[in-house]
Amino acid sequence: MKRLSCFLVLVVCFLIVFPCSGSAARSGFDDEEIRIGQFGPQTGPAAPWGAVARGAGLLFDLVNEEGGIHGRKIKYYLRDDQYSPSVAQAGVRELVERHGIFAFTGGVSGAGGHAVKGYLAGNEVLWVVPGTAALNTVADNQTPPSPYRFCSYPLFEDEASVVTKYAVEKLGFKKIGFLYQNDVFGKGGLTGCKQRLASYDMTLVEEVPVEPTEKDLASQMLRLKNSGAECALMWVSPTLSVITLKTCESIGYKPQWIAFDGLSDYPMMHQITGGLFEGVITAAFVPPPDSGDPLVSKYREAAKRLAPEERWGTFYLAGILFAEPLVEALRRVGPDLSTEACIRELNSFKDWKGLGAPITWSADNHQGTDSVQIQKCGPGGSYILLQDWTANDLATWKTKK
Amino acid sequence: MIEQLITEGLAIGACYGLFGVAVAIIYKTSDVINFGQGEMGMISTFVTYHILAQYGLPFWLAFVLTMLFAVLLGMFIEFFFMRPAKDPTVLGLIIITLGAEMLLMGLAGWKWGAEQKDFTFPLSVQKVHEPIPGLILNEWSIGVFALTALIMVLLFLFFRYSNLGIAMRATQQNQNAARIMGIKVERVFSFTWGLSSLIGAVAAMFFAARSVLDPNFMMEPFMRAFAAAVLGGLTSIPGVVVGGLLLGLIENFFGYLWPVWKPIVAFVVIIIILTIRPSGLFARHYVKKV
Repeated sequence: MKRLSCFLVLVVCFLIVFPCSGSAARSGFDDEEIRIGQFGPQTGPAAPWGAVARGAGLLFDLVNEEGGIHGRKIKYYLRDDQYSPSVAQAGVRELVERHGIFAFTGGVSGAGGHAVKGYLAGNEVLWVVPGTAALNTVADNQTPPSPYRFCSYPLFEDEASVVTKYAVEKLGFKKIGFLYQNDVFGKGGLTGCKQRLASYDMTLVEEVPVEPTEKDLASQMLRLKNSGAECALMWVSPTLSVITLKTCESIGYKPQWIAFDGLSDYPMMHQITGGLFEGVITAAFVPPPDSGDPLVSKYREAAKRLAPEERWGTFYLAGILFAEPLVEALRRVGPDLSTEACIRELNSFKDWKGLGAPITWSADNHQGTDSVQIQKCGPGGSYILLQDWTANDLATWKTKK
Repeated sequence: MIEQLITEGLAIGACYGLFGVAVAIIYKTSDVINFGQGEMGMISTFVTYHILAQYGLPFWLAFVLTMLFAVLLGMFIEFFFMRPAKDPTVLGLIIITLGAEMLLMGLAGWKWGAEQKDFTFPLSVQKVHEPIPGLILNEWSIGVFALTALIMVLLFLFFRYSNLGIAMRATQQNQNAARIMGIKVERVFSFTWGLSSLIGAVAAMFFAARSVLDPNFMMEPFMRAFAAAVLGGLTSIPGVVVGGLLLGLIENFFGYLWPVWKPIVAFVVIIIILTIRPSGLFARHYVKKV
């Protein structure tokens, strides 16, 4: 018995020292299919964002319905990471090593993305486009950027700068406050807003941090109210935004709220705020789901046919948006598919227009855009497009070398 | 502005206090901190939501049915989770409550999903009154003040004059002596859990009305209410409520002056107070002789 135990301990130690990563990742395609993967929450606290991964699935179904790409069908693998980095890691390794994945798309978990980005790059697996701004290549401070990761999710700084410009120039606000989640995401928005205001020789009348888990924001809202801010930007989670709006209503404070793109699913926000979201302006990297844009209409009709059980909303549409450039690059490559050829094509994107803002990539720049739309929540959670794709003319990352 | 800070601080503090009372009732009778208290309240609030959304019943009826459910839930957990524990230590029982917490959270996620939901509550934070110019009171605050006061009075009368209340106090002081006196200690525990669950469910509904309803929504309020209960003294029910009010005031004043320190300042104050008075501000300090 003792010997058996010793043997098992030795086996376990061997596996720890020489893990399975030694087994080379399988090729991500063959003559029949191209294997594309995605991880993201389908269950757990961030399950509402699961629609992103399912939206990408709709695009691949549509491509396959149209005959695939140069004779190859897309085989799509989705792994539920429950919004946990360790589960995301396990799922990604399993996909890469057991099935062989040509490219990943989406992946809305910021922490999960950080946990797997090194592994994917190490295995030369493409990632087009990560579903979170947290995975942008600008923040990597690496020149040239990672050759395998192509991003188009606008930076929080850029979004904040564009909406601040709108608040000052179009809406004429002089007193602007900023409510932000006390983390990288919130501080990113704060930086962009301050940078834009500085260009008008203006400053924020108040900047109020909140912790992501806070449930009582009365004192912070009273501070904002006391500052006299007639317009307030909020870079906070959906839950915090609900508490914010309810608290402001209860203390009789009604500024013009402007929020980041994560709050641009208006039907959901309208529902969970009990209607208080009406009138809120947001940045948006996805066009309104009810838009008459030909591409939006095409996908909307496809969803009715291929995924009638899905709610046609911003998150679902975002999943399509993240996967579109990959499909386009695969088409451009032609039948002689390889990772290198796909990278070459992606690096040649110049003002390429899918659902979202025009994307430009090069070998030195993998942050495809700095543009957002500006939308407003109308009655019943409807969408009102206020301003079409607008770039951040103050974006500092574009001038960085 | 200052009167607004005071009323908002007292209102959220009363809610912490109310939920803290639910925690304290179980602690008073069994020395156990129920870490599943928040999730018990969460499940009960989801039941109300379900009744309202699925069956379209009026709120008062949904509320009554939920209260019934909450009592049964508390008794169920006590009967099936706590009671079967063999030769239980307090630590072992606390671990069981942690297990119950995870089970209930998983159950809520499975049944109602992780999506945030709007909880329709008749006492809305959006309906405001201005009794004095500059002092804005919303119906939620008025409701939480009134209900906390009412529950306090009822609990006082219950513990002072009812046989069951006296039996609960006796059980807390000495279980063996209570048994010898003919008190059915197990039944007392069952009732305690039922009562605690009921009060917790009421408080959870108030929290949900201010925020959103999802399986995680009671985690933070539980921590605050627990802190409030420790501050006031876990064995003193009026102390727990006063602890909640103090916590609400401290948080709001510091949150106004130094927002970045708001989440931790209350806990710093609690550590300081507990260093001076380990049993809390209003509880008697017991020393067990061995």
